[in-house]
Amino acid sequence: MAITTTEIEPLATGALHRLLAWLSPAYPVGAYSYSHGLEMAVEEGRVTDRATLIAYVTTVLRAGAGRIDGALLVAAWRAAAAGEAARLDELTALAAAWRGTAETALESLAQGQAFAAVTQAAWPEPRFAAFVARHPRALTHALAFGAAAGFQGVPLRPALAGWLAGFAASLVSAGMRLVPLGQTDGQVATAALQPVVEAAADAALAAELETLGTAAPLLDLLSMRHETQYTRLFRS
Amino acid sequence: MQRLGWFRAVAPHAMVRSMPRDLPALTSRHQRADGAFDLVFGTASRGAAAPATVLRHLYQQAPLRILFPRPEPGEPPTAALLNCAGGLAGGDALRQAVRLEEGACATLSTAAAEKVYRSLGPETRIESHLALGSAARLEWLPQETILFDGARLDRRMRVDLAPGAVLLATEMLVFGRVARGERMAAGMLRDRWRLHRPDGALLWVDGLVLEDGMPAAEADPFGFAGVEALGTLLLAGGAAEAMRDLLRGLPAPAPGAATLPHPGLLLARWLGPAAAVRAALGAAIPALRAAALGLPPRLPRLWTT
Repeated sequence: MAITTTEIEPLATGALHRLLAWLSPAYPVGAYSYSHGLEMAVEEGRVTDRATLIAYVTTVLRAGAGRIDGALLVAAWRAAAAGEAARLDELTALAAAWRGTAETALESLAQGQAFAAVTQAAWPEPRFAAFVARHPRALTHALAFGAAAGFQGVPLRPALAGWLAGFAASLVSAGMRLVPLGQTDGQVATAALQPVVEAAADAALAAELETLGTAAPLLDLLSMRHETQYTRLFRS
Repeated sequence: MQRLGWFRAVAPHAMVRSMPRDLPALTSRHQRADGAFDLVFGTASRGAAAPATVLRHLYQQAPLRILFPRPEPGEPPTAALLNCAGGLAGGDALRQAVRLEEGACATLSTAAAEKVYRSLGPETRIESHLALGSAARLEWLPQETILFDGARLDRRMRVDLAPGAVLLATEMLVFGRVARGERMAAGMLRDRWRLHRPDGALLWVDGLVLEDGMPAAEADPFGFAGVEALGTLLLAGGAAEAMRDLLRGLPAPAPGAATLPHPGLLLARWLGPAAAVRAALGAAIPALRAAALGLPPRLPRLWTT
């Protein structure tokens, strides 16, 4: 089998270490407390097993928040890597205003704020610190992650695919608790989502912000209805 | 003979400028429509009574035309938007702008559903700009837009809101001529919203983008789930939280939900059969215009005649 050089993208030790840390469920951004509407999808009987969980996460990545966050992560990485602070500020305002629902806005902004705080403490970098200081409580998770990766020399494609895979894994983990599914079923779902993550990364790299948008109004409805769900384990 | 344009008789003072455009005209083998209107409402003092909203400026360019039906008692000035061409084809472009000066109140609607025909390639473009001065109240309540199979629509809406302004805006998209069993299996839709605060800062951004027709229901049960229509309602300004609770308490002819994506901003969506989504908007609009805008609890007459 031919292996092209793009498939074996070199990842310097420092970059790999950062990615493993930043994407670990142990990184304290609180990812475990958000279901991105999945809790309501289970409540309504739309997600009942592994196959429907995979379908849900696929739509999130391909047509929902994955589209927007992936494209904004890419743009933030490029602006940070190029040292374009004004461009990064503009992207921050765009990302903070892109709010599908109250709870998905909370999900991305609370995680972004937590990611910025812990990254400043554990992986300090002066340009990232200045950037975070300019935008109190206005950083979405994907944007802060892309900026940190760009400032700290983590290559774009692994950072992007890693972030999308982390998003997917976090939703699968929520699904395991909600459906419920066993540990192995959850890992089978995560593995099955790998091509979806790669396709979402390809789409994000090719995206133009001017023509960006979602195509998943049902996900928005589920997130909105989650606000009034009677018993809830998750904040979104 | 000097070409005056047929709008001259309506508004002699309106021959001031053509509207700015930030996109180059599309080249096409076919003759294409390039419609526009630019509408400004202000207020005029009526002595002791509350100031009345008056038309300050009107510019219109075929095939768009604005009619001003006599408002019913208690109703603000109503502008009825009419597309004399009957529908929009690929390559057609519309530019629409409404500005309300401080304290003005007006309703905009359309005389009929907008139809976007199958395109031979070029996009149909619609750019809209709503600007509300302080304490202005605007209703933007067009009837549904029907996307024929193969339609290619690129639509952009910009809203500028001054302090105390209240905007009630609705949109309804129908994916195919559902009455004849057609679905929008192919085609393109880009529908983008941007709301700006008085200082120009972005308040809210939204985009709906379908690059390759409506995905089949079985292909995406969590995307559109095969529905015929999507209805959207936005209320900016006013007591958004109370209005959200009011909306949640209304009977729901179509599956829908409401949220506050931003404090002070209410967003509701409905997804379902076209008639049901229209009925849901038809229930939400009267309730919200009464509670949030202080207007009579009824639909614009254009919706019901």
